Amino acid sequence: MTFREAAARTILVVILLGLPIGILGYRYVLQPFLSPETTFEVQAYAPESGGFSPAVIQVEAGKEVTLRFTSMDVTHGVAIGPGLDAAIDHIDPGEQGEITLTFDKPGTYTYYCTTWCSADHWRMRGIIEVRDPVNPDLLPQVQSDPVIEGLLEEGIDIDADHEGEALAIAPSAARGGDLIESVIVPDEVRQVDWQRTHSPAEALTILQTQNASYSDAELRDVIAYLWMLNTTSTVDTIQTYNQNCAACHGESGNGAGPAAYLTADVPAVFDDPGYMFSMRADVLYAKIRRGGMGTDMPNFGTLFTREETWALVDYLWLLAFEPTLNE
Amino acid sequence: MLNQKRHVDLLTAFPILKRLLRSRSFQPGMMLLTLFVFTLVILTGLFGTPAGSRNFGIIFVWIVWWGLLIIMLVPFMGRFWCSICPIPAPGEWLQRRNIITKRLPKLRTLNKRWPRRFKNMWLQNFGFLAVALFSVIILTRPQVSAWLLLSFIMLGVVLSVFYKNRVFCRYVCPVGGFIGLYSMTSPLEVRVNDPSVCLTHTSKDCVTGNEYGYGCPWMVYPGRLDRNIDCGMCMECLKTCPKNNIALNLRPFGTDLTVQKAHKLDEAYKAFIMLACAMVYSIVLLGPWGELKNAANMQSLPHWLAYATGFLTFVLVLVPGIFGVFSSASWLLMKRSLPLRKVFIDFAYTLVPMGLAAWVAFSLGFVLINGSYALSVLSDPFGWGWNLFGTAEAPWVPAAPQLIAFLQTGVLVAGLLFSVQTGYKIAREQVGRHRKAFTVMLPNSFFLTLVTVVFMWLYLG
Repeated sequence: MTFREAAARTILVVILLGLPIGILGYRYVLQPFLSPETTFEVQAYAPESGGFSPAVIQVEAGKEVTLRFTSMDVTHGVAIGPGLDAAIDHIDPGEQGEITLTFDKPGTYTYYCTTWCSADHWRMRGIIEVRDPVNPDLLPQVQSDPVIEGLLEEGIDIDADHEGEALAIAPSAARGGDLIESVIVPDEVRQVDWQRTHSPAEALTILQTQNASYSDAELRDVIAYLWMLNTTSTVDTIQTYNQNCAACHGESGNGAGPAAYLTADVPAVFDDPGYMFSMRADVLYAKIRRGGMGTDMPNFGTLFTREETWALVDYLWLLAFEPTLNE
Repeated sequence: MLNQKRHVDLLTAFPILKRLLRSRSFQPGMMLLTLFVFTLVILTGLFGTPAGSRNFGIIFVWIVWWGLLIIMLVPFMGRFWCSICPIPAPGEWLQRRNIITKRLPKLRTLNKRWPRRFKNMWLQNFGFLAVALFSVIILTRPQVSAWLLLSFIMLGVVLSVFYKNRVFCRYVCPVGGFIGLYSMTSPLEVRVNDPSVCLTHTSKDCVTGNEYGYGCPWMVYPGRLDRNIDCGMCMECLKTCPKNNIALNLRPFGTDLTVQKAHKLDEAYKAFIMLACAMVYSIVLLGPWGELKNAANMQSLPHWLAYATGFLTFVLVLVPGIFGVFSSASWLLMKRSLPLRKVFIDFAYTLVPMGLAAWVAFSLGFVLINGSYALSVLSDPFGWGWNLFGTAEAPWVPAAPQLIAFLQTGVLVAGLLFSVQTGYKIAREQVGRHRKAFTVMLPNSFFLTLVTVVFMWLYLG
């Protein structure tokens, strides 16, 4: 055999065997061995085409992981929750984005799309099961939510149709602020816990008995002010609302977002003070976390922490009683 | 003959080129290079990201290779790609039991006879159509592309075990079919310097082979070679010819199209298929009709079946049918002096320059727009976040988007002129006199103009 022939055969073997073995060996054997960080490739398709692939990822607590998302069809956004503050605003078709994080505690987390990508956008979710390396069979169960339990005990039907009364004048927290010093307000009505389990209408009934000289409209202003006192909303909350709620409920809360026409039931109108005045915060909270049966309102309990959910509810009051603050 | 001999033998003009092409290492060397890329394409297709624009396989096959092939190689170098193609290489090396030097006097195969009824382009025609029907899927899904290419190389190996020479390339390869057809327009040809030398030469080393090389793997007898369509430019005859009678000529474009003795229906249909497919692709992939694209993308089986039926009807019935009407007009104008079938087939060859121009124009559109993806996939071929050459983050920059329409127009007009000229030459061969030929070619020229207008409207709309 000539030298050239031997060289050609060697090159052939390198191409046909060396190249695949080298690349795949490095990728699937050597790389995981060398670096502690695990990378998960996740393809993002609109839900109609399959949503996230894979849709379930298992990781060990305390280990750094990277999730690389590739957008396969339209622009998607990705966030991981609850309570991780990990998000990629948008990934254009064919582009990639990655999130690197360490899950400290075992439990179940959700990665979800944050950009309106299709009619079924909200279904675009995947689950991360974070397991304890010492005890991998034990996956902490989701704790029951005392707020939702409380509503059930009270016999309140979260899914009942809620009709508000039309108000001639929209309550204004700003005007209420001017009156708050002169109006008698029982202490409990000022408490967050009380406000979260009662509607503004119930507060009005209480205030009316002690403030006969004031008109109902004035008292409503005061209540709007009280409801604004303890708000926990932040700039992040507004972004959360805009990314996850505005498509149906509208950025202003007018119930006429671009996807409102797709839903089975008319989306709730948060900037209708009459509707909100007879609404309870804990019912709003429960609707957000548990979803609305048959209305196409998704459940967000697996996406947001309880604190984030309360912040969202507080923001809804803001839309109802102080829409100008949002402009 | 109308064709005066107007050509230059590049081998005489550039002795260094002759040395290179005579070397037994050149072709296998090129094949090993393309085989390396091919293997990477398969690996990235099977294991890399499913996002086409981030996958080396998709970008390098359907943009880089395709662009090179249809915009550069085929129009200017004919079947040169076939001589460096990796797909038949493993099979050929198995037959020869060697890569570079010639070791065995005969090829090692089971020596089966390739069926006579398949000694034509029909398999390639239907193979191409089969690929074309699924093209939207193939072009966007790396895994599908990889399996398709793997099946090609496997088929190449299997056929080389059963049959001698490059049966796969000549009768089966869906790509080889149209490269062959369009290579007839290219200005490069392998021919003999003096056919009379071959007539008196008894041993015919170019067919039987000798210690310097193998008999023509493409089963062509160079002494009578007068069209590029079946010659794979492997240069084996250059190595074996003891008379130094092989030439690599530079010649005018489109010389082969008027050689009438070898006009065949299968080739005519190849011309229809290619032209019609260029039109369908332009409509589906570049057109504003998303519904069509969804149907082609197998949104649902009924959608796709409707698309496939429409596609096949358009390509196999409608375009040849309309063309047939115009051919009939030519036939009537020549007072039926030739059989209608012959007129129809002859004039189909005018679609070759036109079809090639249409493909070049269509390909310019997406190759220039998407070419810059090549930079990023070079550094991150699998989409795994690698950055081999520091270009992984290279942005997507469409090349000369404002020029594309001008380039497409120029190419289409050039194609039209070449096709009309070919039509005139064919008519001259059919009826002889200039004035009569001019009349006879008119319907054909009208058809060609119509097709050009449709393409113009599609690209410039």
